[in-house]
Amino acid sequence: MVHVSNLTKHYTDLQRGKLVAVAGIDFDARPGEIFGLLGPNGAGKTTALRILSTMLRPSGGRVTVHGYDVLTQPADVRRCIGFMSANTAIYDRMTAWEFVEYFGRLHELEEHVLRQQMEALFDRLQMNNIRDLLGARMSTGMKQKLSIARALVHDPPVVIFDEATVGLDVLVARALIQTIAELRDHGKCVIFSTHIMREAERLCDRIAIMHRGKILTQGTVDELRERHSEEDLEELFFRLISAQEEKEHSGNSAEYSKTSPSGELAKEEPA
Amino acid sequence: MNTVRPRHVWLIFLRELRDQLRDRRTLFMILVLPLLLYPLLGMSFFQVTQFLKEHPSTVWVAGTEELDGLLPLLDGDRLDSRWFTDATRRELVHVAVREDVSFGEPEEGPPPAPVKEWLQRNDCDVFVYFPPGFGQRFNMLQQAEPFDESARALEDIPATEAAGLWIWHNSAKEKSRIALRRVQDVLARWNNALGKENLVGLSISPVVSRPLAWRLVDTAHKGQRGAASWSKTLPFVLLVWALTGAFYPAVDLCAGEKERGTLETLLSSSADRGEIVWGKLLTVMVFSMSTAVLNLLALGATGWFVVSHLQALPAVAALGTPPISAMAYLLVALVPVSALFSALCLALSAFARSTKEGQYYLMPLLLVCLPLMVLPLAPGTELSIGNSLIPVTGIMLLLRSMIEGNLAEVIRYVPIVVCVTLACCYAAVRWAVDQFNSEQVLFRESERFQLGMWLRHLARDRGPTPTVAEAIFCGVLLLVVEFFMSFALPTPRNLSEFVTLLVVSQVAIIGMPAVLMAILLTRSPRQTLLLRRPSFVACMMAFLAAVVFHPTANALQSLVIYLFPVNEGALAFLDQFFDEPGAFGILLATFAIVPAICEELAFRGFILSGLRHTGYKWRAIAISSIFFGVIHPIFQQSLVACMVGMVIGYIAVQSNSLLPGILFHMTHNALALAASKWTAEVPAGNPWTERLLGEGIFHYAWYVIAISSLATLAILGWFRRLSYPKFEEEKLRELLDRPASRSIPEAS
Repeated sequence: MVHVSNLTKHYTDLQRGKLVAVAGIDFDARPGEIFGLLGPNGAGKTTALRILSTMLRPSGGRVTVHGYDVLTQPADVRRCIGFMSANTAIYDRMTAWEFVEYFGRLHELEEHVLRQQMEALFDRLQMNNIRDLLGARMSTGMKQKLSIARALVHDPPVVIFDEATVGLDVLVARALIQTIAELRDHGKCVIFSTHIMREAERLCDRIAIMHRGKILTQGTVDELRERHSEEDLEELFFRLISAQEEKEHSGNSAEYSKTSPSGELAKEEPA
Repeated sequence: MNTVRPRHVWLIFLRELRDQLRDRRTLFMILVLPLLLYPLLGMSFFQVTQFLKEHPSTVWVAGTEELDGLLPLLDGDRLDSRWFTDATRRELVHVAVREDVSFGEPEEGPPPAPVKEWLQRNDCDVFVYFPPGFGQRFNMLQQAEPFDESARALEDIPATEAAGLWIWHNSAKEKSRIALRRVQDVLARWNNALGKENLVGLSISPVVSRPLAWRLVDTAHKGQRGAASWSKTLPFVLLVWALTGAFYPAVDLCAGEKERGTLETLLSSSADRGEIVWGKLLTVMVFSMSTAVLNLLALGATGWFVVSHLQALPAVAALGTPPISAMAYLLVALVPVSALFSALCLALSAFARSTKEGQYYLMPLLLVCLPLMVLPLAPGTELSIGNSLIPVTGIMLLLRSMIEGNLAEVIRYVPIVVCVTLACCYAAVRWAVDQFNSEQVLFRESERFQLGMWLRHLARDRGPTPTVAEAIFCGVLLLVVEFFMSFALPTPRNLSEFVTLLVVSQVAIIGMPAVLMAILLTRSPRQTLLLRRPSFVACMMAFLAAVVFHPTANALQSLVIYLFPVNEGALAFLDQFFDEPGAFGILLATFAIVPAICEELAFRGFILSGLRHTGYKWRAIAISSIFFGVIHPIFQQSLVACMVGMVIGYIAVQSNSLLPGILFHMTHNALALAASKWTAEVPAGNPWTERLLGEGIFHYAWYVIAISSLATLAILGWFRRLSYPKFEEEKLRELLDRPASRSIPEAS
């Protein structure tokens, strides 16, 4: 469903020079599973997912979504995905109903299909009470629900959630996670990025741990536990990150001398 | 540009329109403000005029004893009433006679120190002084001294023969300037009366000194006079409001959406970037047009109301009401004008990260657009082929002529103005779409700027060739340096000075900065400046191209000069040096070789290499050619240079070397110089030259120009076959522009 092969993205930063945000990552996400991208802030998760959603162009490698190439067939890719991130806000001067209807129409849904789809979504996400509420008057939880409805209105086979639970209270975050799990049950291919271990552990069928643009390891939670002889995912995560940082500092300190103290982005790999 | 689906554009347009209409601030600015603005402005104007009154001037007069026996100039503490057309004006000049002051016969030069001090302290605004002997001299003139036959013209009569008086004023003070104008008006009338009296005294009719009398008859009827007075105001108001009305919605729809995070939501939808731009563009256009129309209506209604109630005032009565036909013309013109301004505003505001930053871009946009709007207001600016080719200015002049009722005369310019405006609209929309396709623009985050950090970045992150920003910086730097040096360098007086100045200015202002920037800012100056050995055939073809292109270039130059007439002195500047011994050879060597090397290093070397990172070869060639054109001092020369630059740019890119371009440039310059000398010296009656040379505005016969154009195209076609290394961005662009092969979607 989603094939990512040797995906690279680099750009120039005034302070740190030429940076590689994504350094040749590979992964596949399949229908009926939740693929988790786990990593600290600045690991390159958002950049990778923005490439998947065609907002950014890859510098190298190949990405296909539902058989379409993100570089050469971006419109087809966008038709097949629902994308939701902490950065995808809602319009303040539109009601919930108008907002979802607008994006449904942009996806060229037949009028009766759109109507059915919206009714179903508003029921499922319990949003009927905010149908006529303007975006500016909604709480954060309502806005998140509305964003999910917007991402799902055209019933896409691939749904991407980028740090979707950031800033949500426990109740709303729980409801969102429940919705994502239901999407998997409906056969969707879900890509879910987070830096919260517990969420990933509970939700994801397979996980890739990203750090400084690279995938350090990937597999099911059980496979990772077995492979790294560590039961606690959070501990496993820390060990992998620390080992990688140690390796980089000791083995090739000069190579990484340009990274920021927080280690947000990796330096370009030598060709 | 990808295929644009009208349904998506329409949906985006409707949403944006509804969004803006739900914003109370936008509604107030677009709908309410124009309706209130003009009546309020009119009311304020009437109120302010009640406080506006002319202040009297203080005039000190000394030496009044010299005026005995003359027609009276003074009447107590005022000037005599007969020297005023309006009694109220008399009260505006207060006179104080200073009997205690005398300066004898003052000398030319600075005024006496006390007078200077009085004027400085505002004790008086003007000081009028009749020196000793003034009256005596006047009496002599009354006796009619023998007239000097040799000095027939009035300006030949020495000033010393007339009775001279002194008027001291301070032009640095507004009050003094006004007082001077008032005093000069009075003295002119007094002077006329004195002359008339002298003639009567000599039994000569006063008509002798004023033999002409005329009556003014205006053939324009009241409506036409009214239209003429509105013809400049209405188009100007229309354009200013179309621009203002476009700007704020554009900022809200682009920078505002970025700030609020809704742009990313829209970008992730199935709408294409081009569709998003078109949808937003239509919305901005609607607001631009609405703002302009409502302002025009409000202005028109206020004007009509004022005029209909103040018919008693001659100035207002002459103004008349705005003609209805004017409104129709304005509405038609408003569509392309709004489209142009909306696209420009959209592209600019797409670049801004926030509404605050977007608003900073209003001033540069105004600075670019306002001169184009103000130019048609200048007296004597008429619609011509040349003016109609200038964006915005052409529309304004066309509207002006149409409102004045000259539709039949200017209808032939309509296609030109429409084509120019549509071309500008297209370029502006392309720019806006490119902005929306640029990751650097859409996902630009604010970075802390530190000079040290930036310099480190320049040194550390150097690429093999310059960036687009570095290329544009180089172009702008060269233009700025050229501008200042054109004033700083002296005008050459002889051939030697001309050659020295040309070499120094080319090397120091153009060639050297480009080479230095290539060394400092890039990892591969050789690649940047295209310092590669080309094939011998490519060099020969470039040389041949320049030779066969010469009649076409000459025709282009003639056409440009025909459209935009140039001062002959500017064109003939080089001619003054031709007469010096050996001049032609020296001029040929310096005029052909030095600019060819220096300008090619800068424009086809550094600038073109950097601009190719945009991913568009032709756009890079065009922008580098514009820089190349603008660096030439004469506007008409710039236009031709720009076109020649396109040819050289293409040759440089296709041959992947600077040398063929240098050869073309050198040959082109040499032929242009030779042609300017030899066409003047062609012996008449030579059948060969008579066949080759043309008549009218072109130097060459039409078939020579046609063959030249075709041959040039054929040679450029040969260059097209050459394969050249493409930049990464150019490869990406080719990949994106290629129709995508339809993959078969996976089964869900």
